[in-house]
Amino acid sequence: MGKLVSGSEILLESLKRAKVDMVFGLPGGAVLPLYDALYGAGIRHLLVRHEQSAAFAADGYARATGKPGVCLATSGPGATNLITGLTSAMMDSIPVVALTGQVPASLIGKDGFQEADTIGITLPCTKQSFAIHAAAELPAVIDRAFKTAISGRPGPVLVDLPKSVLMEMAEPEYPDATESGQTSRPNQPREWVARDIDRAAEMIVASQQALLYVGGGAIAAEAWQEVRELAELTHIPVTTTLMGLGVFPSRHPLSLGMLGMHGSYATNTAVCECDLLVAIGARFDDRVTGRLNGFSKNSKKIQVDVDPSEVNKNVSVDLALVGDARDTLQALIEAVKERQGALASESRGRWISRIEAWRAKHPLAYDRYAHTVKPEFVIETVSRHSDEDAIIAVDVGQHQMWAAQFFDFYQPRTWLSSSGLGAMGYGFPAAMGAQLAFPDRQVIAFVGDGGFQMTLNDLATIAQYHVPVKIVILNNHALGMVRQWQEIFFEKRYCDIDLNFAPDFAKLAEAYGIRGARVEHREDVVESVRSMLADREPCVIDFWVDPAENVYPIVPPGASLAEMIVEPPRPAMELEEEEALDDLWAV
Amino acid sequence: MKWLLALETEKDLIITCRLINIFRRKGAKIASLSLATGTESHCMMAVLETLEADVDHLFHFLRRMDGVQHVSYYRHEPSANASFVFVDAGAESDAMSATRFAELFPGARLIFASSGKFLFEVPATNIARPPLWESDRPEVLPFACIRTTRPEPQPQLGAA
Repeated sequence: MGKLVSGSEILLESLKRAKVDMVFGLPGGAVLPLYDALYGAGIRHLLVRHEQSAAFAADGYARATGKPGVCLATSGPGATNLITGLTSAMMDSIPVVALTGQVPASLIGKDGFQEADTIGITLPCTKQSFAIHAAAELPAVIDRAFKTAISGRPGPVLVDLPKSVLMEMAEPEYPDATESGQTSRPNQPREWVARDIDRAAEMIVASQQALLYVGGGAIAAEAWQEVRELAELTHIPVTTTLMGLGVFPSRHPLSLGMLGMHGSYATNTAVCECDLLVAIGARFDDRVTGRLNGFSKNSKKIQVDVDPSEVNKNVSVDLALVGDARDTLQALIEAVKERQGALASESRGRWISRIEAWRAKHPLAYDRYAHTVKPEFVIETVSRHSDEDAIIAVDVGQHQMWAAQFFDFYQPRTWLSSSGLGAMGYGFPAAMGAQLAFPDRQVIAFVGDGGFQMTLNDLATIAQYHVPVKIVILNNHALGMVRQWQEIFFEKRYCDIDLNFAPDFAKLAEAYGIRGARVEHREDVVESVRSMLADREPCVIDFWVDPAENVYPIVPPGASLAEMIVEPPRPAMELEEEEALDDLWAV
Repeated sequence: MKWLLALETEKDLIITCRLINIFRRKGAKIASLSLATGTESHCMMAVLETLEADVDHLFHFLRRMDGVQHVSYYRHEPSANASFVFVDAGAESDAMSATRFAELFPGARLIFASSGKFLFEVPATNIARPPLWESDRPEVLPFACIRTTRPEPQPQLGAA
């Protein structure tokens, strides 16, 4: 007979075999045996101040590395506090493994202290959830949990661990080395056949105004090289979703940036006018398409996706290639190369010129000469002074959209955003998770004053562990995006958006032992950003930005991309002056 | 339009709960639902009233789920094209019902049986025969298989 060890020790050994080096968590009664085993076990544990931050940090770690992030919480409230983070990971297809404590098996269903039906609660927000009944099950279940998290369309997985299982002695049998520590995912499904690839290549070659529309699936599949190769081979411009930022360099001549509700005029017009739209790991989300029956009406559509249920879900496509994006694009590139002579390069050149003209007509812009601190200016300044491999995390709202519009991305896995769920409070803990994965890289969290107040308690965590995250607060003293919608779509009936009653964030940071500063004047922005990025210490800078600034363009709810509002309405006096000038010229 | 959705899953109730929750989330209108336990798997049969696009999406959504082994869906087909028949004899029926219904479809193979609900595969030669086929009896619904993840013929699921 082999050596008997506790369920907790078996779990930790299983995590090590899954190449887990970092766990984000907060202890409690049901997981005390696990924390006891964790003492000196060689797995780093980051003590967060709220379990929601543990889930967000694990998500940030996963997005930055491509490996599953691991979070750990006790039973009951510990587990329920993970829910928002798991739901966000589910929406954005991020591999996270959540370990939750549970009351001892004999007490399950008897309303014991800190008991919750964690499995029941998390059914819709996890890819799979496992209830453990015996310590001997742990090696196989943990192995499968990690494989499930990364395989196919990635997502969060939960393992519920009764205290009695953690304490039970058993003789473990570990499966063969798991592949979960690798970033590339095993056994990806492929449902297309060679003639589908040929057909896609022919559609691409025959097109004259094509567009690649690339989403987070291309990052999950690590297909960024292939996206670039296909774009350069065919001279097809690339637009990315919010999830896809970083997959294609922002400054590449074929880059069109983000499309959709806050996409640029040129990008959204190109989507409306294109004759072929090639969706790669993108799911035609409502924030991308606007009104469905007005979306890219004249284009043929090809959809590359690992998830067959995404095909024709929102938008009908002419050709679906169900499979891993990298694998599929590699085959497609070869098929296009065979037909390269037939590429209509002249018409492609004209198409790019048209897009450039749209870009010149309505570039992404803001008032660069304003006396106030414009949030876009802060973001551009950080972009200009940060490293090319800097990791950017954002919360949700106006600042998120400005960062998507004005920050230049050079690499994949440098953009962390709760895009599908849109969970405020995500940015700072996600940055913390990424920084733990890459201690030597710059990690910058752009947050609003609203979202930051949801998870700022983890300032204690970065102070305790010397995690050098840079926190840039774009403080407009309001729930800015809500204010913008109330201004534009609800006749300026501002209701409960005022956040003027807030702490002095700089002083608050200092209270946690972190350098804090406030910037109220435009002329101080550049120096404060330089200073922030100059050292390897955590830092909070509270930029008091123009509270009236809005995000443009904006596609109104229920409208099509073609109906976007490109810029703010100009004051009547300005328009009158312009009309008078027109009259003068007419004479 | 009526559809029959057949699911085989790992023998884990969590997966069954997940499926039922998905039916709720996707707004599936379930006319009949039955569960059976096999030696290695759980099996679920649901008769749905929905649009073809919706059931097709559901098929793809379910087939990529962790723990789901096989998914098939069948379209209500009151014509000679049907090669399956679903019988809902009511919960009070017993094992004898399967025998009785099997007699109505000579040569038919029982695929699923649970709590008075049966799915038979009817050989092509017998398709025109059963008089129940074109009757108005709501408990007998002929179906044609539209999509399945099963590469091979379906074994019997559940116990008669």
